[in-house]
Amino acid sequence: MLVVALLLAWEISARSGLVRSANWPPFSAVVVALVRGIANGELVAVVGSSLWRMLQGYVLGSAIGIAVGIALAMVRPVRYTLLPAIELLRPIPITAVIPPLIFVLGLEDRLKIFCIAFSVFFPIALNTMAGVASVDPIYEQVAKTFGVPSPAMLRRVIIPAAMPMIFAGLRTGVAIALIVTVISEMIAGQQGIGYYLMSMEFAMRATDMYAVIILLTLVAYAINRGFVAWEAQIIRWARTRDFAGT
Amino acid sequence: MTAGEALQIDSITKTFGSGVGQVEAIASFSLDVEAGEFLSIVGPSGCGKSTLLQIVAGLMPPTSGRVLLGGRDVTGEPAHMVYLFQQYAKSLLPWMTVEANVGFGFEHRGKFTPEQARVRCREYLDMVGLGDVAHRYPWQLSGGMQQRVAIARALSAQPRVLLLDEPFSSVDALTRLELHALILELWEKQQFTAILVTHDVDEAVFLADRVAMLTQRPATLFGVMETELPRPRRPVETNELPRFLEVRHRLLGHLLAKGTGTHDGP
Amino acid sequence: MTVRNRVLTLLPGIAFIVFAVGLLEFATRSAAINPAAVPPPSAALETFAALVWSGQVWKPLVQTFLLLAAGYGIGCVAGTLFGIFMGTFRAVYDLFEPLTELLRPIPKPALLPALMLFLGLGATMKITIVALAAFFPVLINTVQGARSVDPVMSDMARTFGHSRAAIVWKIVFPATAPYIASGMRVSLGLSLVVVVVAEMLASTGGIGAAMLDSQQMFHVRETYGWLIVLALLGLALSGGFNWLERRIVFWIAPSST
Repeated sequence: MLVVALLLAWEISARSGLVRSANWPPFSAVVVALVRGIANGELVAVVGSSLWRMLQGYVLGSAIGIAVGIALAMVRPVRYTLLPAIELLRPIPITAVIPPLIFVLGLEDRLKIFCIAFSVFFPIALNTMAGVASVDPIYEQVAKTFGVPSPAMLRRVIIPAAMPMIFAGLRTGVAIALIVTVISEMIAGQQGIGYYLMSMEFAMRATDMYAVIILLTLVAYAINRGFVAWEAQIIRWARTRDFAGT
Repeated sequence: MTAGEALQIDSITKTFGSGVGQVEAIASFSLDVEAGEFLSIVGPSGCGKSTLLQIVAGLMPPTSGRVLLGGRDVTGEPAHMVYLFQQYAKSLLPWMTVEANVGFGFEHRGKFTPEQARVRCREYLDMVGLGDVAHRYPWQLSGGMQQRVAIARALSAQPRVLLLDEPFSSVDALTRLELHALILELWEKQQFTAILVTHDVDEAVFLADRVAMLTQRPATLFGVMETELPRPRRPVETNELPRFLEVRHRLLGHLLAKGTGTHDGP
Repeated sequence: MTVRNRVLTLLPGIAFIVFAVGLLEFATRSAAINPAAVPPPSAALETFAALVWSGQVWKPLVQTFLLLAAGYGIGCVAGTLFGIFMGTFRAVYDLFEPLTELLRPIPKPALLPALMLFLGLGATMKITIVALAAFFPVLINTVQGARSVDPVMSDMARTFGHSRAAIVWKIVFPATAPYIASGMRVSLGLSLVVVVVAEMLASTGGIGAAMLDSQQMFHVRETYGWLIVLALLGLALSGGFNWLERRIVFWIAPSST
């Protein structure tokens, strides 16, 4: 595979002195550092603390995002009132928000969790809104004809029907959460992957830096894969939507 | 098992939109439907049959006029009237199993324990011959089977009036014959009032006690005809009776004249 | 929707924004919210105005914008070209897909420290990281778009004698355009975020550096002033993108969300 070939090329170029630099350690050295870091728990702690922060921010942002998204789609006054403000805030780069927020929330976890939740909120709320708005009206008519009251209709019909789009938003949210976690730790960090990477950069310890990057790659890949599998499980039915009769 | 009720449809009109772009779908429609009868409504494409049925079902408000079920005004979502959708495949909730879908039909009309609900679902699924696919999902079934699930769901709500909106137009001919037999069998057993909307004259005559004809849009009632055909209906024999051909001839003539009302009356 | 209706529907939204800002102003002036942490919006706007009038804002703004444009441009072009290749030719896709799938979930800012070691703290490093960040969303979306081009369309073109290359140019590319646009939209937001982070970490000029400077010197109002600068930049870029998109990809609805 290409990946293997590239790794080999990396190894060879470093060892053979093709690229002569302290910042280009051989891949094998990086692996050694990685294994060592995992074994003594250091890298695990670093990545673990980042993931924990990310999870908190993600759950917070998603919960609010989904709730607001549903409200935006179903309650017209809410949409007219809040949507312009949301559209106005959305293009503001999160990095611009971090330094001012340091004055308000300090440099601890609170700051990062808030930033993650804030960033994740937008795609999730908007995707949820789009999903709920695009629920096939026939489902609502079915519910009406069988006398389903509104709260049950929301729970049993509208939300399941909107799931595919809600999940699209959640998926985007995961990627964003990871990015914002790392960024916030780099700018305002005392712990975690972002902070660690910056420390390694400062100390010019390239090998350790790459070790963390590799670990991060694997973790990010695993999260991504896991999420996709979970999504497929929940909305199995969406793939086969265009079955006979439609 | 509750017997069907009578319906009075009184001077229903329906206009969509307002101002210059408005469309008058139904000009004025009045009809009395007897309790327990099977009524078919035919009309040219796009004449507003489905709209009329949705108004009767309470899914859409009329611009004027009213519908009385057993003497009571129909507003909002009336109990005891169930609407069978034309797009049955889309009307089944794809994230629920067949059994859950059938349950959806009656769960919100009363209090049921999970056990009671399951028993009732099974009962109706067996009635349509689908007892063994209860745990499948709608998208795993063929078109004909999906329509049968929709029928089971509709009947599980034990309606007094069943409104069918061209329910067999997208299945193949043989399946359609099976479904005709099924619907008639269930109707005779459960004795609900049935109103079927279709563009297929043969189907309309085969199933019904009376056939109502709509004109083209804006739709009005052109006339009503008694089919006067013996029951039980048989798929081959009934269609060959002289009376069947006579009724069919009249109806087709009306439809082909595009229901402009210039033809001879029924 | 008539103009009058349009304005009417916007009214509640605008009223809400005005109300929220007003509430914040009142809260900070009455010290219900600590003004040392959050200055009154009017004060922040004043500082912002001062930044503009004094000319302080221009140099960093231009620098940030140029770096952003360069990186974004390179990333988008590379992503589009590569994406069309991957999406059209099965062999290319099979070869590169594992690599892109592996690299895609990496948060690109995590590569910043490494790049800083390699390329230093100057423009090259910043343009590179922005290009890297912009590349992937465009690539992914373009591949998806190119792969979903109806084979009927390509077959049709083949029967009329068009060469493989012509098909790519005349059918695949226009059909994929909405997807490319969608990817470019995501990349734009990401690029802005990344360029600011790069400037903050490298401290060699640009708005990011200026803002972080203010923050570290506890110039609260100035920090918020820079926030307004960046907010306006983000809004301008987003609005500009929408406007351009409407012109170019006019046969499909806008790609928002």
